[in-house]
Amino acid sequence: MVAEENLRVVRSGGSKLNFRRAIFSIDSKYLFCVSGDFVKVYSTTTEGCVYVLQGHSNLVTGIQLNPQNHLQLYSCSLDGTIKLWDFVDGILIKTFVVGCKLYGFFAPVHLEDSVFIIINKETPDEFQLASMKLPKSPSQEVEVKELSFVLDYINQSPKCTAFGREGQYVVAARDLYLSVYFFKKKKTFRFSLPSESKKNCNNIFTCVACHPKEDCIATGHQDGRIRLWRNFNDNRNYTYTSLHWHHDIVMDLAFSVEGTSLLSGGRESVLVEWRGGIEKNKEFLPRLGGTIEHISASPGGDLFCTSHSDNKIMIIHRNLEVSAIIQGLVKDSIVNTGLMIDPRTKALVMNGKPGHLQFYSLQNDKQLYNLDIIQQEYVNDPGLVHIELMKAAFSSRGNWLATVEQRQEKEAELELQMKLWEFNEQQQGFILNTRINMPHEDHITALCFSDIENSETPSLVTTSKDGHFKVWILTDDSDIYKQAMGWTCDFVGSYHNYQATNCCFSEDESLLAVSFEEIITIWDSATWELKCTFCHRPGKIKNLCFGRQTCSKYLLGTTEKSFLCCWNLLTCTLEWNVQLNVTVLEPDPNSDNIAAVSWFSGGSDLFVFKPSEPRPLCIQKSICREKVQCAVFVPRDVPESFISEDYQWLNKSQFYFLNESQDLMTFSTKSPEEKLTPTSKQLIAEESLPTTPFYFLLGKHRKQQETKPDEVPEHELIYHPSATDIPAISELLQTPAHVLPSASFLCSMFVNSLLISKGTKSAEEVPDEVEMESEQATDDSDEENNISEIAQNAINDTDIGDEIPQISKTQEKTLRKLRKVDYSWMCAL
Amino acid sequence: MAASGGGRRDPLAPSGIPCAFSPRGQHYFSLAGPDGHLRVWETASSRLHQDFVPSAHLSATCTCLAWAPPRSPAKEGPQRKKRKSEAVGTSDQVDLLAIGTAVGSILLYNTVKGELQSKLVSGGHDNKVNCIQWHQDNDCLYSCSDDKYIVEWNTQTCRVKCKWKGDISSVSALCISPDGKMLLSAGRTIKLWDLETKEVYRHFTGHATAVSSLIFTTIRPLNESQPFDGITGLYFLSGAVHDRLLNVWQIRSENKEKNAVMSFTVTDEPVYIDLTLSENKEEPVKLAVVCRDGQVHLFEHILNGCCKKPLTSNCTIQIATSGKDKESTPTPIPILAAAFCSDKQSLLLVYGSHLQPAIERVSLNSKEPHMCLIRDINCWTPKIGIAVTKVRTPIMNSEAKVLGPGIPGHHAAIKPTLETEKTESKRRLKENEQISIEERLGAMDIDTVKEKRKGDLKADSYPVLLVQGLESNDCYMLNKVLQTRKDTLIRNTVLRIPVYAVIPLLNELTKRLQGHPNSAVLMVPWLKSVLTIHASYLSTLPDLVPQLGMLYQLMESRVKTLRKLSRLHGKLILLITQVAASEKTQGVPQPEQTAKLVYEEESSEEESDDEVMADKNSDENWEEDEERESEKDEDDDDEDDDDDDEQEIDQDTENGEDKEMALEKEINGDSDLDPENESEEE
Repeated sequence: MVAEENLRVVRSGGSKLNFRRAIFSIDSKYLFCVSGDFVKVYSTTTEGCVYVLQGHSNLVTGIQLNPQNHLQLYSCSLDGTIKLWDFVDGILIKTFVVGCKLYGFFAPVHLEDSVFIIINKETPDEFQLASMKLPKSPSQEVEVKELSFVLDYINQSPKCTAFGREGQYVVAARDLYLSVYFFKKKKTFRFSLPSESKKNCNNIFTCVACHPKEDCIATGHQDGRIRLWRNFNDNRNYTYTSLHWHHDIVMDLAFSVEGTSLLSGGRESVLVEWRGGIEKNKEFLPRLGGTIEHISASPGGDLFCTSHSDNKIMIIHRNLEVSAIIQGLVKDSIVNTGLMIDPRTKALVMNGKPGHLQFYSLQNDKQLYNLDIIQQEYVNDPGLVHIELMKAAFSSRGNWLATVEQRQEKEAELELQMKLWEFNEQQQGFILNTRINMPHEDHITALCFSDIENSETPSLVTTSKDGHFKVWILTDDSDIYKQAMGWTCDFVGSYHNYQATNCCFSEDESLLAVSFEEIITIWDSATWELKCTFCHRPGKIKNLCFGRQTCSKYLLGTTEKSFLCCWNLLTCTLEWNVQLNVTVLEPDPNSDNIAAVSWFSGGSDLFVFKPSEPRPLCIQKSICREKVQCAVFVPRDVPESFISEDYQWLNKSQFYFLNESQDLMTFSTKSPEEKLTPTSKQLIAEESLPTTPFYFLLGKHRKQQETKPDEVPEHELIYHPSATDIPAISELLQTPAHVLPSASFLCSMFVNSLLISKGTKSAEEVPDEVEMESEQATDDSDEENNISEIAQNAINDTDIGDEIPQISKTQEKTLRKLRKVDYSWMCAL
Repeated sequence: MAASGGGRRDPLAPSGIPCAFSPRGQHYFSLAGPDGHLRVWETASSRLHQDFVPSAHLSATCTCLAWAPPRSPAKEGPQRKKRKSEAVGTSDQVDLLAIGTAVGSILLYNTVKGELQSKLVSGGHDNKVNCIQWHQDNDCLYSCSDDKYIVEWNTQTCRVKCKWKGDISSVSALCISPDGKMLLSAGRTIKLWDLETKEVYRHFTGHATAVSSLIFTTIRPLNESQPFDGITGLYFLSGAVHDRLLNVWQIRSENKEKNAVMSFTVTDEPVYIDLTLSENKEEPVKLAVVCRDGQVHLFEHILNGCCKKPLTSNCTIQIATSGKDKESTPTPIPILAAAFCSDKQSLLLVYGSHLQPAIERVSLNSKEPHMCLIRDINCWTPKIGIAVTKVRTPIMNSEAKVLGPGIPGHHAAIKPTLETEKTESKRRLKENEQISIEERLGAMDIDTVKEKRKGDLKADSYPVLLVQGLESNDCYMLNKVLQTRKDTLIRNTVLRIPVYAVIPLLNELTKRLQGHPNSAVLMVPWLKSVLTIHASYLSTLPDLVPQLGMLYQLMESRVKTLRKLSRLHGKLILLITQVAASEKTQGVPQPEQTAKLVYEEESSEEESDDEVMADKNSDENWEEDEERESEKDEDDDDEDDDDDDEQEIDQDTENGEDKEMALEKEINGDSDLDPENESEEE
């Protein structure tokens, strides 16, 4: 480190992944999702993040593939810009500056170059759908000025706006109104639902989806009903049918590509697939975890994905099998446990999914797994009171984990359970050792382990609001049935019936400090004798910790009346105190530094100090605007060597903190530029896959096809002319049966009409095939059969509108070439 | 050849299964199994990250693997001003894996996208690729093959940059020097090439068989006095097929001897080697060698000069299954690979089958020369069809201990204070002796009485049975007695048991109360009658608190939630018993035990003052009491036990009202009268 940059706060752990619908690329290889100010590109097969598209300066609110070029992606943001990205290389192509906050973005396929955005009107809760044309100019940054309003009074969420079949109409829903605007007629239809019908249902619209092939709109409602609207180009004769399975709000709806099935999901976290829009015909994929917030289907039709409230995206196969999970840091729950470090894996541990502890690897910024502590299926229902995971603690070597769970339905009915898990090295997992029902009569406020490296009996201290603290020790309680180690209570201490609020062991574990409201008591951990008490009235003790290493003779405490006090344990006197509203006090296990985060209305400040020195080592003002909930020092694997005195406290450990909006933050000294271009180690290997035998056959013709101007570009689905397009077929189908000529007469006409283009083709193809077959006969191996068959198919597929004899000759040539050249890969078989 | 495998390794293959840890933090471990699959595992969670099958995996099996050095993700177009808080991470991406195949092609696989990125074929090898090395700085890749050539590739264009004949036989291993200007190759002999001119710089000879691994152990020479030209003075390590010695060589000026400077001995052919580079003179080089026999040998050595004698390992790590089950004997689990973590204090071990290896981080702070880790591998067979989930379920089996309120261990055992414990226990002994004489007398009394009354009462056999059962701790006998439900029988039995059996009986009852609720129901009447009848005896015991502390806690916790109800119940019982007692004073069977000491309660009159103050109800009670007291005075000799009973009841009424007494607060409502309470009272 030559020139050290300023210490900056950087976000860690990523933002929400479930803010908007995730979308698939055309080939279903990639999945895009918005994440804070970025757009993330994930691989659907490996769950790995391929690119992070960064460039927006505010929350990204919408993404959509460019309908003109499916290798490009549009994104819009609250910063008032629309950006066009090349996601294959992760490059920003263009920026369109709109100049007002954009809440949603739509680029329907059939409406050529006009795109639609959701913007805010003057009043805060009024949103409009506006259309605009993106100018085609070569410059990087283009300003867009022309906006034309399409629909007024729509919902802020893009879930409540959808574009209909072939972009003919747009549907928007808000509250109890559904508006449909037809672009050709330039007419708006409005339908409203009664606010409260007889059956006491709540008809407020929550989401809208349009059938891709038919004129049908699906809407989801607050009461769990799904309505399928038809005939909506008529103000009176519109009809709707309703599908009802969800018992709670329908969060999102999506049609499959062909429109054959409708997917819906809600708080039940069950993905429901309605086949053919019939209520009876439905399939379920249950137990998906958190509330389903968004659903989307891939353009290829093979994958779905659901975004969940516990910050994860599930990629689900067409046959309703989960194929991949992209999991971010779970941010749904309140972090009761605080931040901890698992000493074995060095992972950050905190509350995860309901009833789980999540292990998050900070080194590769990735969630490792969720540990199911409560082991009860989580029923996502607002009326239920769940068992909550309140506290957790690791022993210093990570071989013991204590967890406290509680459930409180009413004031007087408190259920507490403490579980002690032992890490079993043989099975490489935690095994329940002791379960203690109602370890205390009231809420447990703190727990901490004491096990110094060489001691055989670890002990655990729990403090509770019932005025006691209990010391649990591991003892051998083998009876006639089994030989086992289990935890038993060794000591119960109290101090004048005050509520015990905090506990903390000194570094050598010889002393235990327990705070009882305003008073700190010091106990000898060998005999459990009360040694002395400290008090700094008025104000209850909020945080408590011992100094480390050279400062181990100090005890620090913070009070509710904004005092940070330091007592000397040798003299039993107050060493110093400072008026500071400290919210978090965290000692660094690897040094004698202590970090205190204070909070004022303006923001949070960080102070790093040594208890023995009057001057703080480092002061970082306004590290974040919100209150800091909890913080932790994470030991570094490889110590850094900051020379500057201000950063020396970061040499051995890294400091992570979590604020009230659940953003995990840390400090970094690297400048952003340094991070983006780290040295010359840029290695961008070109994608160059060699030509395979199939390529010789298919690739060339594909190239030829591409050169043709009138060909539909790269549509995955093979184009079949629909029955109604061909006069012969429509005639056959529409003529009454009794006036039809005989079937033999119709047959040739009918078959001819099914053939796609030139009439001469079939005649010439026949000898060609015969030739091929003779070739097959001479072939030795089975594999070659395959090849020639494929080749045949290729011919059939590709000779549309070309002169056939020539093609077959060239193909013969290529085939012969093939026979000579490349069979090594087959010989091995 | 390789396709025939399935699970067993080809004995003639030069080394084990090709596998590699990703650089910078070892987040991934890739392994190419003999089934042709390339699997990438996450080391932190030992979860299968991906499974890739190259298109020609059966013929062109993977022979070597190499992770590309970390690179940055593609740079964005324009640089913009960043906000204050931006994402951390995504700095160095490790995603490219080079795979050498048996037919001579090299595949570049992108592990993030999960797809093949490029294939290096044209102008390359036409035989098995033996080793691939990425250049640290530029986009070059070096590969060597059985076709005797070394090829330098440009990975951006996927073209051959240079190709030269490396040896007269196949070239089996490569290594790039720390400064990136030299290349070591191993064929028949070990050669050091200058990468600029592609000329041989040094020769080293010594291995009899094909060299399977080459690795530089130092990045700068220890002797700092001489100017460092980037290569001279460096050490490197080589391991060979079927060779139990690892040789260390030093690159020195040309005319010096070309033999190895020292060697390390291991138990079998080395399969995987990892080391930590020493950065200064004092820090030793740490070396972890995974052998074919599945052991890991750790060496820690400061490389300085020659050593003729082969060095043995400082520590050997083995893994075996636990042989604790009935049928299984401990079997060794092979270690597939090992790598030092970035803190140099712990080792990542990969062990088990190559289809489902377990990856574990083991810290190396012990000084023992041999570490045997016992691990259960119940996942020998690959798991198929398990739903994708990121949840781990810790094991909750029935063996876990369950503590509830009232069960020993839930609350601290009540102990006498530490200072007095010893003296007290001595005193207790004496007292026991003293008491026992009295008791013996008393017991004799009972026996005589019992013999007389044998015919009359059925309960006669019960006390005997009970006492015998308690003495012999005979479950059957105790069950027979304690499972009776008749109240009178229980009462009579308790009346007749000798006093020395009271404490054992209480302990037995306590034990049974902790069991199933159904059995606890049976025990409650017993406990009740014991406490009511023998309260006076219990109150004489000095060490009652520690002896019956458990029972106290149990009772306290059981009735905690029913405080009000039990208070009402207690009062009702009080009334009923008093009414019944006053009616039946004559009908009560005379107690068999003659009182040894008759104590006339005078305090009841004093207490009555309080009671008058307290409540009206108690006034009535008190009046009743007084009446009865006067009655009792007449025949107090006979009603010794009853008297006791009533005294208790008195106290209980007191407790019912007297709320200031903190200690008794909890016991207030207990219908069961508490021994501890009494002891404190008296």
